[in-house]
Amino acid sequence: MDNNTLLLIHPALGGLATLAALWVFVDTLNGSEASWSRVKKASIICAVLIWLTYFTGGYWYVRYYYTDKAIIKSGPWPIGHGFFMETKEHVFLMLLLLATYLPIAASNNVSASKSAQKVLLWVSGLIVPVSLSMEGSGAVISIAVKLGLLLKKAQGG
Amino acid sequence: MEDTGIGKYTRGFGLSFAITSLLSALLVIIKEKNEETILAAMAAATGHHWVTHGAINVILFIVLGWLFSKSNGGRGVNLTANTLMCCIVGAVVVNGLLISGFYLLG
Repeated sequence: MDNNTLLLIHPALGGLATLAALWVFVDTLNGSEASWSRVKKASIICAVLIWLTYFTGGYWYVRYYYTDKAIIKSGPWPIGHGFFMETKEHVFLMLLLLATYLPIAASNNVSASKSAQKVLLWVSGLIVPVSLSMEGSGAVISIAVKLGLLLKKAQGG
Repeated sequence: MEDTGIGKYTRGFGLSFAITSLLSALLVIIKEKNEETILAAMAAATGHHWVTHGAINVILFIVLGWLFSKSNGGRGVNLTANTLMCCIVGAVVVNGLLISGFYLLG
């Protein structure tokens, strides 16, 4: 597969995982009898999508990122790698575990337990902003590459 | 045991998530501060330090979660829902602050 296609699939899967976590959060808040089977399914979908995000992004990162890294570090936004990519790649490892934990939290008898509902709300509610920060960091990294390439072109490289 | 209203696997793996997330953030700092030794060894183990880091996290999460779920005579670790939520939220916040703070100041 073309590495640019892979790079598009990675954030698309992450975006869908964020929507699945939001679905769990909203349906848990709604809390009707019809919600609970949907919540369990959406929590599994969220976990699977985050794992797919991890595999696609991880493969691209290990296999192709070194060329982008060199461009970013020699460009006008070296912070794109030094802060945003370094933070993103390591915080993502925590997000992976949090999303893996979501179906475990949803496996309780959530319809009967307010405590179980609270745990589910917190876990799904945390996945959404952390995932969005991953998407935002990815955007900053892309711009850092673009600026690095523009500078290289302006310098006749 | 107090009825927490949440299952033993939710309590066990929730606590495991909190501990693993904190250890993961500490491992980031330790490996970056010891590039010649720890980072190099992690890179040599799988070909990339980040892959090794992820594998360590997943294995630790599963092992600790299983142990906590089976502890206390098979009834699982004794945690209330509020304590569990504090552990999970605290771990997410501290993980984010430690990692972003390290790269921001480093």
